Amino acid sequence: MTSADATTATRQDRAAATNGETEAFEAAVRPHYAPLVRRLVLVLGDPHDAEDVAQDTYLSAFRSWDRFDGTDVRAWLYTIGLRLAFNHRRGRRRWLAAIGRIEPRPWSDPSDPDLWAALSALDASTRSALLLNVLDGYTQAEIGGMLQVPEGTVASWISRGRAALRRELGPDR
Amino acid sequence: MDHDDDLHGRLAALEARAPVDTTPPALPSRRRRGRFAVPIALAPVFVLAIVATAAAGAVVVANLAEEHEGIQNPGQPLAGAHMECMSPPDADAFLADHGFTDVDWQVETGTTVAPDGGKGSSTTVHQSTPPEHGHVIPGSIQNDGSVIMVADQRVGATGVGDCFGSPMP
Repeated sequence: MTSADATTATRQDRAAATNGETEAFEAAVRPHYAPLVRRLVLVLGDPHDAEDVAQDTYLSAFRSWDRFDGTDVRAWLYTIGLRLAFNHRRGRRRWLAAIGRIEPRPWSDPSDPDLWAALSALDASTRSALLLNVLDGYTQAEIGGMLQVPEGTVASWISRGRAALRRELGPDR
Repeated sequence: MDHDDDLHGRLAALEARAPVDTTPPALPSRRRRGRFAVPIALAPVFVLAIVATAAAGAVVVANLAEEHEGIQNPGQPLAGAHMECMSPPDADAFLADHGFTDVDWQVETGTTVAPDGGKGSSTTVHQSTPPEHGHVIPGSIQNDGSVIMVADQRVGATGVGDCFGSPMP
């Protein structure tokens, strides 16, 4: 084998490895993409913002794929997505304040308007923690790790969120 | 009734109705590219192209009104169908009879209450075929024409709507 042949073979090996990584990433992460967008709609309240953040999350996860520990893909993806969502909200608020305009295009759910209204009234952190706990079954410690806050803070958010929903929806609704 | 049980079912249904474009973005090549592959003299052209694209994109986005109502809501294709009272296979067949053959079944398993009396845990799986059992929670039609449906198989699940409290099909 000549030096040129060896170089070509090495390039082909690298390309194959790259294609393999991409396929592995898509096989593991793609099934969680749509659920992530839906979750972000509930957290951000705006489908367009949710799509934007979900796309950023997907690309960010792809760039970090070689650092993923291989345990819980959904938790890993949601962790990236929720952190980006919080940053997105902060950035948008600053931007809207800077230009003095607010043009939200929030989603509304006519099927269960009371629940959506009560959920929307919670701040994004409380809402996220509550959804991770109630819908996904993550423990307070796990949620604390995902959102990078102490477990006690998560406990407080979840308790406050549940109380607020119970107050708004009533015990028998 | 237990508020927590009801809350899980309603939140799951709410999330299932959230509008979603299920297509993730195209992944970039992971191979390193040359940093200045395009002559720097073309930079103004690219800046103009980006500005024009952004302006056109803003117009397009402004005209997009995404809102996915529940498939059984008044005015929706299957208004009043009461699929919450059907078994998942029956609901799937009903949807197929009405032209909805691309259905994403979101199956919730686990328990609503833990053995120690605390909160139960659940697992969500998405699949294209309906599970045999479970309380059906009707979802919505997505941009791509597919339909999201929830099948709540959790031990202690109550069902929703007209069939709240009925035995799990």
